[in-house]
Amino acid sequence: MAIGRPLNRVEAREKVTGAARYTADARLPGMVYAALVGSAVSAGRVRAIDTTRAEAAPGVLAVLTHLNRPQWHGTPDALRYQETRFPLADEHIHHHGQYLAMVVAGTREQAAHAADLVAVDYETRPAVPTLDAALPDAHQPVWRFEPEFPTLLAIGDPEAMLAAADVRIEREYRTPYYSHAPMEPHATLAHWAGGSLTVYTTSQHVHGDRPVIAGALGVPPDRVRVISSLVGGAFGNKTAVWGPTLLAAVAARQVGRPVQLVVTRKQVFTCHGHQPPILQRLRVGANRDGTLQAIVHHTVNGTPVLFDRPEGAISPTGTVYALRSVGVRVEVARMHMPTPATMRTPGDGPGMFAVGSALDELSYELGIDPVELRRRNHLAAHPLERKPWSGKQLLECYDEGARRFGWERRAPRPRMMRDGGDWVGFGMSSAQRLEHHGPARAVVEIRDDGTAEVRTSTQEIGTGNLTTLTQVAAGGTGIEPDRIGFRSGDTTLPESSPTYGSRTTGSTGTAVHLAALRARQVAARLAIADARSPLHGLPEERIGAAHGRLYDVDAPRRGETYRELLRRNGRRSIVEQGFHDLAGRDPRFSYATFGAHFTEVRIDDTLRRVRVTRHVGVFAVGRVLNPKTARNQAQGGIVYALGGALMEELTADPVTGRFIAPALTDYHVPVNADVGEIDVSFVEEPDYGAHPLGAKGLGEVVAVGVHASIANAVYHAIGIRVRDLPITPDKLVAGPR
Amino acid sequence: MSDGTKRRTVLAGGLSVGVGLAAAPARAEASTPKTDLLTLVVNGRRVRVDVDVRASLLDTLRDRLHLTGTKKGCDQGACGACTVLLDGRRVLSCLTLAVMHEGSEVTTVEGLADGDRLHPVQRAFADHDGFQCGFCTSGQIVSAVGLLAEHPDLTDAEIPELMSGNLCRCAAYGNIRAAIAAAARLSREGE
Repeated sequence: MAIGRPLNRVEAREKVTGAARYTADARLPGMVYAALVGSAVSAGRVRAIDTTRAEAAPGVLAVLTHLNRPQWHGTPDALRYQETRFPLADEHIHHHGQYLAMVVAGTREQAAHAADLVAVDYETRPAVPTLDAALPDAHQPVWRFEPEFPTLLAIGDPEAMLAAADVRIEREYRTPYYSHAPMEPHATLAHWAGGSLTVYTTSQHVHGDRPVIAGALGVPPDRVRVISSLVGGAFGNKTAVWGPTLLAAVAARQVGRPVQLVVTRKQVFTCHGHQPPILQRLRVGANRDGTLQAIVHHTVNGTPVLFDRPEGAISPTGTVYALRSVGVRVEVARMHMPTPATMRTPGDGPGMFAVGSALDELSYELGIDPVELRRRNHLAAHPLERKPWSGKQLLECYDEGARRFGWERRAPRPRMMRDGGDWVGFGMSSAQRLEHHGPARAVVEIRDDGTAEVRTSTQEIGTGNLTTLTQVAAGGTGIEPDRIGFRSGDTTLPESSPTYGSRTTGSTGTAVHLAALRARQVAARLAIADARSPLHGLPEERIGAAHGRLYDVDAPRRGETYRELLRRNGRRSIVEQGFHDLAGRDPRFSYATFGAHFTEVRIDDTLRRVRVTRHVGVFAVGRVLNPKTARNQAQGGIVYALGGALMEELTADPVTGRFIAPALTDYHVPVNADVGEIDVSFVEEPDYGAHPLGAKGLGEVVAVGVHASIANAVYHAIGIRVRDLPITPDKLVAGPR
Repeated sequence: MSDGTKRRTVLAGGLSVGVGLAAAPARAEASTPKTDLLTLVVNGRRVRVDVDVRASLLDTLRDRLHLTGTKKGCDQGACGACTVLLDGRRVLSCLTLAVMHEGSEVTTVEGLADGDRLHPVQRAFADHDGFQCGFCTSGQIVSAVGLLAEHPDLTDAEIPELMSGNLCRCAAYGNIRAAIAAAARLSREGE
């Protein structure tokens, strides 16, 4: 059985030899290079822009600004474009770094040099630089498109329940500007031929990008091909088309050559998404026995000046713990910030930091162990959908995690555990992520040489999906994974689900699974109908498949290979489609993935630097397709959130709002030495109600709850509760709070 | 002789630009960009290429020699994705100009395997799943190869600190450590 085996990644060889081709590695004859000029101010307008020196510089083919750009087609809203204005739309400046000009030249060096020669005369206006400065503007958001979550909601009577509760806590939590910071900067290579456009671009959803690109350029979508097969990390900031992709496409049309545009690292930080600062006010009421009576959760996040973009930090509030009443209010406040983008893990990441921290604070108020407090508030059904959860092994995750971690050694109060100069602390949190899914299509082809091929538009962003989907196809067809090829990342292929929001396993996985089963079924029927087949006349349910061979399950030696069957019948191949239908789920249940985190921190008493020395994560994600890639992804998600908990922050200048140091030298993502021992395991029980494969998403849930688990461990170690991330040493120098 | 002269000219040129900027902020007008005929030994092959004097070693490898295995993650020496071996030493190829390395030997990730036979470090990264998206992997592997050459007696405990110049945002760090530790054991046992 291929599913569940710890196979090496199918693209491992390409990745370790440097043969793997990412977007910026694509080369076309006659290709030229583009570079962008960003605004030095956060608010105002371009009074004048002088491109004469840039245009005169050696090798320069074109300089585009708002004054001479080609006309855009369609509208950002109609095309559901990420921003409300297309690049170089007009002279107005709404955030620092906003692209004001693009230079196209014969070489990379010529383009970069000429971009430096573009002179901008700014009319600068005062900026709203920080969330605190924006707070007076806090308002109920207007959704640009359909609402994604409730922004004002009360279940029960939370105010009355709070007032009546035995114990109340009221706290404010904050998360800063976070950057996705994938290793691969955004890149596009655009090429026109005969009125058709091919765009190689760093994308988490090629079929989603195509209508946006086609619409903005005024080209029929079937004349646009988008290619993105290997993506060098994304974490959400390649979920949508960004301006440079459109600019590369118009530039390629204008200069009549393929144009490559790779943004700089600084531009990745400033113009390709981030998670905005979020302030969360949480009021929690509970009775002495620990039963939660009410949570009232009020959030305000920074939003760009041009449109409202609420963050869903309220996501865990009403859906993780059993509550008698819930109140949520989501607001946004306008700042001169670049456009944010969905970031791992949207809503639940910051939301569970607040809720998971508040539960911990409550546990000390009540004198109840944090794990026990969560057990007492275990939630069996989705409170809004009013349906029982499917596949909720959260209690087992608590048990297994506590056992693996050694939770019973935890001292009941803070500042009770020392090891030499280190304070030692234990913390924990729950993890939960609703299991989203979407339509997905795939094709599986079984060929007369005994091989097979999977075709779907998904891209490998690092999750291991080419490998796990190959295993799914192997499971369905009975052909060994090393005999299965994969074509992906291209709009000429059937549309997969996007590679964000933990959708690949459930949605695209189901499509591949169904396609593989159908291809095998067609082959089986061919054998049954074929008088020369050893399987002739057998009932269909008696035919199994393994090792590239169909066989009689009651007499396994009786059978034949796909190769023999197809060749004898003169069939080159069998090609079948699979479609993941949203109606395919068992409607009686609600679906999510679950987990528990346990963290040990050590804090040097003098330096007050927090080290996560041990972390245990246990997850319930249904069936695990490949334990090797799954464990890797889970460890990665934990470290991703660890960065946000302890070190990551894009610092904004308090006057202009500009990011002070948009560089990896100052935006500290975790390095190898920051990472201690991370123990990942799974409570594995297939969830067939969710998907026919029984497997659910993984990439998001593993990162949910880590911030709280670490912050709770820090409090336990040293008695200081940090409610504004990241937990840097300066916040730990005071005495206990 | 002439090669040496060229290198000195370039260095002196670079210096004078710096001095010029300090003295007068006006940027020197763009003139026809200088190019230089450069000889490198890349992955054991001698190559001659006419390069823009402003081109980094990284861009020269990628744009001129079409060796795109070496990646540009930040172009400012902070991420390690562009690590190559230059005359056997690990360097960040984004931080050095190509023209400064006339006659040097460069080993990139493409030069590690022996035909179809992977280098032990490459093999170990594949088997230990020492990556996810793979974008930092070339740099990680070349760094690890350089590290093992410099520290034949590398202990497992030393790996995290010595590999911290190579960022991996997917955070496959545990597997990277396991891969390097396995390759280190293999090379010690092989001796």
